[in-house]
Amino acid sequence: MSIATRALSLTVNGKAVGPVQVPETTMMIDFLHEYLNLTGSRLGCGIGVCHACTVILDHPDGRSEEWRTCITGAHFFAGKSVRTIEGHAQRDAQGEVAKLTPVQQAFIENFAFQCGYCTPGFVTGATVLLEQLARNPVAREDLERVIHAALDRHICRCTGYVRYYEAVRNVVLATPGLVKA
Amino acid sequence: MSNPISRRDFFKTGVVAGITIHVSLFATPAPGTLVSNGEPPPADWLDGKDAPRFRVDAIQKVTGAKTFTRDFRARDLEGWPREQSHAFLIRVPRADRIFEGVDLSTLGDDLLPDRLVLAEDLQRDGISMPHTEFYGEWFLVPKGKTPHLLGEPVALLVYKDFARFDAAKRRIQFDEGIFRFGAVTGPNPPPNYGAARYVRIEGASPDAPDENSPIRDSIIFAGFKGEQPQWPAPSRTGDAMARGMAAAMRIEQEFAAAGDDALLMRRSYTSQSIDASAMETENGNVWYDPATQSMNMMIATQSPYEVAERAAEMLAKSKFVAKKVALKCGHTVGYGTKDHAVFPLYAVVAGLYGEGRPVRLAMDRFEQFQMGLKRHAFWMKYALLVDRKTHRFRAMQGEFKCDGGGRANYSMTVGMVGATAAQSIYYLPRSDFSVATLASRAVEAGSMRGFGTLQTMSATEMLVDEAAQSLGIDAIDLRLKNVFRTGMKNTQGAVPIGALRNDEILERAKVHPLWTERAARKVKYELANPGKRYGVGFAHVQKDYGTGGEAAIATLEVDREGRVTLRHVATEIGTGTTTSQPIIAGRILGRVPDRTFYGVVDWPEMPLTASEQQFTMSQAMEDRLKQNPRWTPSFTSPMSASNSAFFLGHATRESAHALVRFGLWPAALRLWGLNPASVAPLGPRDLHAVDGKLVAGSLEPLSFARVAATAHELGLVTGVSVHTFNRWEWAEAEFDVPDAGRLRLPVDALALRYGAGASASRKSKMKEGGYHFIDRAAVFYPPTQFNNAGTRYYAPMATLVEVAVNLGTGKVDVLSHHSILDPGPPIVAQLISGQVQGGIAMGIGHALHEYLPLYEDGPGNGTWNWNRYQLPRASDVAVWNQSAESLEPKSPADLPKGMAEVTVIAVIPAIANAVHHAIGVRFYDFPITPDKIKAALS
Repeated sequence: MSIATRALSLTVNGKAVGPVQVPETTMMIDFLHEYLNLTGSRLGCGIGVCHACTVILDHPDGRSEEWRTCITGAHFFAGKSVRTIEGHAQRDAQGEVAKLTPVQQAFIENFAFQCGYCTPGFVTGATVLLEQLARNPVAREDLERVIHAALDRHICRCTGYVRYYEAVRNVVLATPGLVKA
Repeated sequence: MSNPISRRDFFKTGVVAGITIHVSLFATPAPGTLVSNGEPPPADWLDGKDAPRFRVDAIQKVTGAKTFTRDFRARDLEGWPREQSHAFLIRVPRADRIFEGVDLSTLGDDLLPDRLVLAEDLQRDGISMPHTEFYGEWFLVPKGKTPHLLGEPVALLVYKDFARFDAAKRRIQFDEGIFRFGAVTGPNPPPNYGAARYVRIEGASPDAPDENSPIRDSIIFAGFKGEQPQWPAPSRTGDAMARGMAAAMRIEQEFAAAGDDALLMRRSYTSQSIDASAMETENGNVWYDPATQSMNMMIATQSPYEVAERAAEMLAKSKFVAKKVALKCGHTVGYGTKDHAVFPLYAVVAGLYGEGRPVRLAMDRFEQFQMGLKRHAFWMKYALLVDRKTHRFRAMQGEFKCDGGGRANYSMTVGMVGATAAQSIYYLPRSDFSVATLASRAVEAGSMRGFGTLQTMSATEMLVDEAAQSLGIDAIDLRLKNVFRTGMKNTQGAVPIGALRNDEILERAKVHPLWTERAARKVKYELANPGKRYGVGFAHVQKDYGTGGEAAIATLEVDREGRVTLRHVATEIGTGTTTSQPIIAGRILGRVPDRTFYGVVDWPEMPLTASEQQFTMSQAMEDRLKQNPRWTPSFTSPMSASNSAFFLGHATRESAHALVRFGLWPAALRLWGLNPASVAPLGPRDLHAVDGKLVAGSLEPLSFARVAATAHELGLVTGVSVHTFNRWEWAEAEFDVPDAGRLRLPVDALALRYGAGASASRKSKMKEGGYHFIDRAAVFYPPTQFNNAGTRYYAPMATLVEVAVNLGTGKVDVLSHHSILDPGPPIVAQLISGQVQGGIAMGIGHALHEYLPLYEDGPGNGTWNWNRYQLPRASDVAVWNQSAESLEPKSPADLPKGMAEVTVIAVIPAIANAVHHAIGVRFYDFPITPDKIKAALS
């Protein structure tokens, strides 16, 4: 087979992965799905529009960033650390969910999603927003605008966005330090 | 609706053509706190009473667990090999010339498929499209033929590894050079799908028998000359269709003779083709195992039975031997477009060419646009005659045309449902609505949320708004003058079931500040926002729910310890039915089921046969068939037509009521030491749960477990299975229930399980899956003539919307909206609210953003995705500025309505009406884009 491959090593949900031989052209979403069996990051459009496929890229300096996996090659993540939707909640030794994150908890309690296909992307985007606000709190009057700026790129076809946005606002307001006093 | 596909053979014998079928909702083995068939739901999902704190599937979905069919690979499926092959279809971007083959040389030797499948391979192997009148002539376009539609598959490529599959697909996906074409022939669509006409003239009064109506006389059907329906010749003495045409002519004469005392409005509207854009694309994973002669499938579908049956039919005619067809279904979403879609059958074909390995066929978004079912484009001509003095509608005509594309699917039915909905919320003394459902080379349109009614009711609501303007009266006042009230007949001549509360909704809208203050707000907004124009629009619609052939089964059992199990035919498509069905049961039983099974197809306790001709059967035939107490018109229905809360819920409700009546209530009486006479007027319906105990009146609260144990000890009923059928009315039947005598219940089949203390003779009757199937003594099906009713169940919703139009850019911003609806008593209020919010977003997309060209530039060419197809974003839907109110149920006996479709519709014409209020221009075609607005303003 003439498909060029390279060894890929990275950190996924806190665990070292690789080296794995991966074709140079393989997209990160396919690496997650077909190589790691992490299928929670969802393929929606495949061209970087809908943000159902996003993961969190954790930078060494502690910053986190939302990243689209359907338009980013797997090898871009070589040596990097990512969090996928499977890595958000705390799990017990059996891998069962032990505790949801505040974003996840807010989404389920507010009935934020219906089919749930876009949910991993919204969890990812909202989590990155919360982490950014922890570093740079927002004025209360800017909160709705900031939520739009963070999440408007995410497409949801079932719910009309309302319950997602309300949940994010609720969890931001309930988390100390995210909104300027 | 007519279902062209018979399930008769399957359910008569339990097999199709000798192949056993098994369908099950998938029980996922992936990590996480999972809710799967038969496993307990999350411990804290209930609020301690009878409402959920979150959806039963919420934790799975929010943690990225494998829930969707698309998430699964062969390695995830128990008993499947770990090896996974991958396949894709090559689809032709042209449908006006002869297809002569594919040239895959650009792939080079390395990327050629491990298996290339062409039409000749299928022909050789005996694989042909089942029900070609519904799904189309062939799977793959044969060489030498002109494709029937754009995007029609011509080849299937199967790869044993993902890397080569992925590389090959990327290389050729947009490469038109791979197709070899011959002579240009022009389009080659199938014949047009049909034409239907609904003509009604009321009798001497609205209450008197109609002079003519579809339900009294007939729907009028026609063939075609070109695109023109050839209606029967009118005759007042001819057959029912001829008489209907004579009635149509009388209505036409009334329009022609209209004088100055009436307002005559003739307007034309168009509604565009749109893509459902369900986030999960269609996909399947199919393993044909020659060693065991079994066909193992996991396919995303809203109609699992249909997929399994079609697969069995295909196999039976092919060279591939199969004794068993097993279908697993994950959760899915489709807004109707995964109901009876053709794609699953391609997944079946792909599986057959896996050489013993599972094959995954999963569309990407470009492919989904190219092949997924679309919402029909409609062209609509209306005429409305309004009495200038009374403001009453005298008559309405609608002449509709819709494009069903190159496969039939449910196009004919969509057209008919659209025609029957065109009256919207108005009573029409005389009406003539006709529809011509055309075939074309477009990607097929079919079953999709709204089902034709979105298009026609939107137009009606714009027409009425304009009529009010012409008459110089308030648009809500005009609606109130003509509102469709309880007891009135619809345009098919049928009287809807239940109270119609459209008038209450209108009265509420009329006093809402968005409406009463619209003039003042316009002035204020425009002063504050130079370059923008402000407008408020209103519309009010009512959407049918159900199909007129709704069948379901539910079984509820309680064990000795008081644990309750629910088994149901429902499956999860996002609307929350797996959350709401146990809640329904819990409110009746006093305990929410501890274990649930969905998508169940094995019903040994319901040994029924079904003709599955419920839409077309004659009365005489049904009268003959129903003599068999184990016959029913239809075994079960797909997840569609907003059928969860009311129709599927009916089976849950009736099984729960029966379990209380024949099991829990008599057990409680025993524990209280009372008999039925001594507790009167208290009865089984008074039993309910308070703080976890069963209570009735002031009697001693009893633990559920104690009551259950007593029911078991006494040999009372501890399990109930019901089959239900609705043809715009519930079928009822009489049953000889042990200890209770002959009872008439709103179900057409009943089976009971008795507790351990039952007598030996009673236990000996539990022969059907451990149940005593009680052959009914008599059955009362709604008359087959009700098939002409169109609908008798309506769910209403009105929406007020506030917009700003940017005069420079032409962009319409939705500033806020408020909706008023009558959903009946909510099962889970948050699920209804989510439907309202989501439906309105979809409606905003239809009104302002979403558009697909039908033909060569459209999705069939394979280049469409969400970069150019604009879905509504959060910033488009007034996330923070929307509200909704529901009418309070009039009585505790009210039942929930199917709300999943009506929510989309009212906002669409409301936006058009608001834009008119803003800039004084009426638009007659959707979507109302910035370009159209700029052109109108210039």
